[in-house]
Amino acid sequence: MKWYIYIALKQLFPSGKGVSLFAAISILGVALGVLGLFGTQSVMNGFHAQIGEKLRDTTGDIIIRNRGRPIYDTDALLERLEKMDGVGSAELVAQGPVMMLFGNVPIFPVLRSYDTIREKCAIPIAEKDFIKMGNIADLDDDSIIIGQRMAYMSGISVGDDVEIFSPTMLDRIKKDEVPMPVRLRVVGLLATDYSEIDSNMALVSLRRMRELYNLGSGAHSIVLRLNDGLDCTKKAIDISSEMKPPFKVSTWLTSNEAFLRIINMEKVMMSLIIVLIIIVASFSICISLYTSVLRKTREIGLMGAMGARPMQIAATYCFQGFLIGVFGALAGLGLTVLVLHFREPIVELVVGREALIQFYHFARLPVKYEFHDALWACVFSIVLCTLAGLLPAIRAARLKISEAMRNE
Amino acid sequence: MNSPETVLEAKSITKSFPSPSNGSIEILKSASLEISEGESISLRGESGAGKTTFLNIMACLESPTSGSIFWDNKRVDNLSNTRQAALRSSFMGFVFQNYCLIPELNALENVELAARIAGIFNKKTPHLARALLERVGLKDRIKHLPSQLSGGEKQRVAIARAVLNSPRIILADEPTGNLDEHTASSVMAMFLKLCAERKTALMLITHNPDFAAMTSREVLLSNGEIKELRPSKA
Repeated sequence: MKWYIYIALKQLFPSGKGVSLFAAISILGVALGVLGLFGTQSVMNGFHAQIGEKLRDTTGDIIIRNRGRPIYDTDALLERLEKMDGVGSAELVAQGPVMMLFGNVPIFPVLRSYDTIREKCAIPIAEKDFIKMGNIADLDDDSIIIGQRMAYMSGISVGDDVEIFSPTMLDRIKKDEVPMPVRLRVVGLLATDYSEIDSNMALVSLRRMRELYNLGSGAHSIVLRLNDGLDCTKKAIDISSEMKPPFKVSTWLTSNEAFLRIINMEKVMMSLIIVLIIIVASFSICISLYTSVLRKTREIGLMGAMGARPMQIAATYCFQGFLIGVFGALAGLGLTVLVLHFREPIVELVVGREALIQFYHFARLPVKYEFHDALWACVFSIVLCTLAGLLPAIRAARLKISEAMRNE
Repeated sequence: MNSPETVLEAKSITKSFPSPSNGSIEILKSASLEISEGESISLRGESGAGKTTFLNIMACLESPTSGSIFWDNKRVDNLSNTRQAALRSSFMGFVFQNYCLIPELNALENVELAARIAGIFNKKTPHLARALLERVGLKDRIKHLPSQLSGGEKQRVAIARAVLNSPRIILADEPTGNLDEHTASSVMAMFLKLCAERKTALMLITHNPDFAAMTSREVLLSNGEIKELRPSKA
């Protein structure tokens, strides 16, 4: 081992003491910085991944629309789409807001259709067991499945009746007619674990939805579910090239682009703030190492007298910064995994679970570790700590041996 | 012409320092000194006479204003700092008044450091360092940190470190200055004996006439010049 690495190690981890106070505090500081950076990124990745998964599960992979108008004569189109490579299922979807009355309390959910005749669905209702206290097979033209959280907030239970008013009923009001609500019985609860959906969405049969929206045999869109592992953007381009105008093909990614971009932006901004905190921490390391150089002036002079070259003396302090970075980064990664493992009680204690559901729509704090995030947090911390050692290193290298030896 | 046994030679060394009042102060005025192999020299002089400056110049830790330095008859004052550092690590050892031990290293590691810096550390070094510590009477203090050692013990560690690389010469700047009389005597006796056994030349700066008398030759630095007080006993 090179002597300057040896001295750097010994100054951080002195013989018989294990670890110096300076090293312990510096390493802890870096570790907390890495925890902040990597932890934030992992949680944001988790949000991104989970929201992405939920959006995909509740939106479908590819959506084909008719520029805001209903799509008619869909049988041939549906058949053609289903035969395409990689398409798992194609579903006609009618979807829109309604007013739902339970007792005298109005609720304004979005109704989504489910084709009870074809029983083909582009969202994995059965596969992911989204229906609680009932079954999708129970849904018919006189029943409804409502979001679990909506039911909880409104006090609606399975077996209750709700009344639905659709926007198209306004036409009847214009004609001085009294619109009569459609009475539907709740036969199940929709529980996707995505609060946005569970609070706002309800499922009715396609036939009932067509009736509520005066669609006749049409639908608002065709939603496709792709086989797993397929790139939906690429597939959307393929489908788009085969579809004639006015059809417009979009993916769940483009449909939710703004939302996903906000999450990414949030990740970047939070990382940026924590990066600034780590930079401040590195200044502290720099000052501590600089103080150490001043304190050890005579020892540095001694090393010079014994034949150490200025570059080697500089390396001693650069390596101390580097080693603090390495140990801090490794400790930070470990700390991140540990803290995120126990994230549930921590979240409960700090913000409460309800806040998590209210603002992020999840019952559990999601986490997704990405190798490149860990690498970036470690490399950033190590580089910064090494740079923090640079200024003291230059000072140490520039010391004149004879003057250093006379230092009191 | 230099004698082949000459280990270290300073020729006509002058050294001036800038002074805020009157231009510069000349500390050394044509100081010359020759040290032969195995010889021990004591350098005495008043405080501020320039003894430490002269020692630093001889070790190439400081540049002379004029004059030249020879190590083993090779001129070294005109070499680069890097080259000087490389030669110095194996050519000479140092003992300072304030011990200058690395506080994070134990006694054994402090001694080994000399070999590490010289780039000659190998499997035998720890055994050699251990034997030297035993030789200076620190058999039971090998794993002790400097903070756990007395002043005399620290200086013994520093002496063991200075001789580890079997240097041609050891420069010692008031090595007993911080020790009580009894400890200083025992340390000095041990130090001189160790140098004599290993035929290592020694240049000792001291204020103590008794210790100076223990060396083979005494010189005085006065008015910037070296004056022979007592020629070599040999």
